Amino acid sequence: MGVTLVAYFVYLVSLIVIYVGLATLLHLQFGLTGIVNFGVVGFWGLGMYTLGVLTVQYNVPYLVALLGAAVVTGVAAFILGLLILDLDSQSVLVATLAFATIMSHLVLTQKGLTNGVIGLGTVPSPIEIGSNFTSNVILMVVLLVAVGAIVAYAFFMESAPYGRLMRSIQDNETLAQSLGKSTFREKLIFFTVTSTLMGVLGALSGSVEQFLVPRFVSPDITFLVWIALILGGKKRVLGGLIGIIATFVVFDVLVETYVPLPDGYALIVPNLKLVLYGLMLVLVLMFRPLGILGEREIA
Amino acid sequence: MANERLHLTDVTKSFNGRKVIDIKDLKLGIHPIEGLIGPNGAGKTTLMGLITGRLPMDTGTIIYYPNVDGGAIDITKKRLDQVARMGLVKSNQVIVDFDSLSIRESLLLALTPPQHERFFHIFNEGRLEKEVEEQIAEYLDYFHFQNPEGHALSAGEKKLLDIIRCLVLKPSFLLMDEPTAGLPDDLTRKVMDLMKQKANEGMSILIVEHDLDLMWELCELVHFMAEGELLLQGTPDEVRQDRVVAEKYMGADHV
Repeated sequence: MGVTLVAYFVYLVSLIVIYVGLATLLHLQFGLTGIVNFGVVGFWGLGMYTLGVLTVQYNVPYLVALLGAAVVTGVAAFILGLLILDLDSQSVLVATLAFATIMSHLVLTQKGLTNGVIGLGTVPSPIEIGSNFTSNVILMVVLLVAVGAIVAYAFFMESAPYGRLMRSIQDNETLAQSLGKSTFREKLIFFTVTSTLMGVLGALSGSVEQFLVPRFVSPDITFLVWIALILGGKKRVLGGLIGIIATFVVFDVLVETYVPLPDGYALIVPNLKLVLYGLMLVLVLMFRPLGILGEREIA
Repeated sequence: MANERLHLTDVTKSFNGRKVIDIKDLKLGIHPIEGLIGPNGAGKTTLMGLITGRLPMDTGTIIYYPNVDGGAIDITKKRLDQVARMGLVKSNQVIVDFDSLSIRESLLLALTPPQHERFFHIFNEGRLEKEVEEQIAEYLDYFHFQNPEGHALSAGEKKLLDIIRCLVLKPSFLLMDEPTAGLPDDLTRKVMDLMKQKANEGMSILIVEHDLDLMWELCELVHFMAEGELLLQGTPDEVRQDRVVAEKYMGADHV
């Protein structure tokens, strides 16, 4: 295997890990707590572009920029949450989608910061030692550790009192309030924390992509993560992981990279992929409404 | 005679321009167990909703005295969860439950103090269980659920669980909205015995109930409501023999 192919492999693994992280965070927001966040890409993109702008345009050191990305996403999530988290789920869906759309437009229009469609680069890596390749491998390991930590957190948290509180909010928020739980406050804190982590993943993704273009901030990522979570099982910690494997890994990685297709068919695959996603989603919802992993087990 | 636990003045509430609650002056919780009766649509559940902060009221004030010798708190504008943390809770008339929580988990949830519920506390389940084990056992021994580790199955189990969830909060004032509706007779008896015991231990209880025999037996003071207004207060004997009550409940023809 040539170095190019290994480099591509590192790139793909990094993407997979990022998407698994996003899907797991969405599981915490939606599957556990019932917050219908349809603006995943908004927080992810905000983190990504904050890091990009700070490092490329202002030469801010990486770790400071990463912290900056976390703070900016956190503040945005807090303000948005303050406005929408006591609304019903349809309103939350529309409001978060609107937030992501605003982010996407800001990336296009604030050319002084983001360079608009021309693109922003080169975004540095967290730890730059030796070659570009080495940095990318280190970045992949950083991502694996970060997402591993998110998944581990989700595991422990869900069998802790806090996870039970979040489930009770999803089940019946008024009943939880009548037991003295300040549900709005708890949802706001949890939404802010998990959305901030989406922003941090976005910032790290900036380093994976190295060159940022507005296409990254399109709703595609939101849809991918949502489809994956629903396929895998929204109520299960590993639902995101299984879902990303069933969608992104199978179609985008395995089929597109390794299946030898006759000339002329290669262009059909990306479109066919969406059809197959849809078909799979319909089948899962018909025969296994809670996704491949199904209902969570009683502790 | 102890002081009251709640004092409502000029409390009104309208839905779509129709006044459903109009209470001039009402003191609740003077006796350990009091009753609130009235025909369907009298506004009993709405009134309890206003007291617990589940519904906002249009006008008026509600003052709450959490302890017999303690100070007064204006709970007029307090939210449901704030009021509950002050020890003023209500059990539900309709059947409600947390679909994803087992009976035991439901009680654990109710018993978890806020300092255990932080997003960064993820290894405290064992410690919490140890702290509250006795309190859960007290109720699970008294009432027999088919499977406490599983979900509440029947409507009766859910109703019972709802009442126990309120009791483990150790409220100083408990509102009960038709606690025996949907419960089998032997359980009703058990719940009522427990109510009497809790009242003896200092808890104030206000019961809304259509089973009037039960009300005459339990309550020392009964409030009678109709069409959103408080029409009468008195001992069970006084209320039972009152002409207005009979008219409102059964229609003028039967008097």
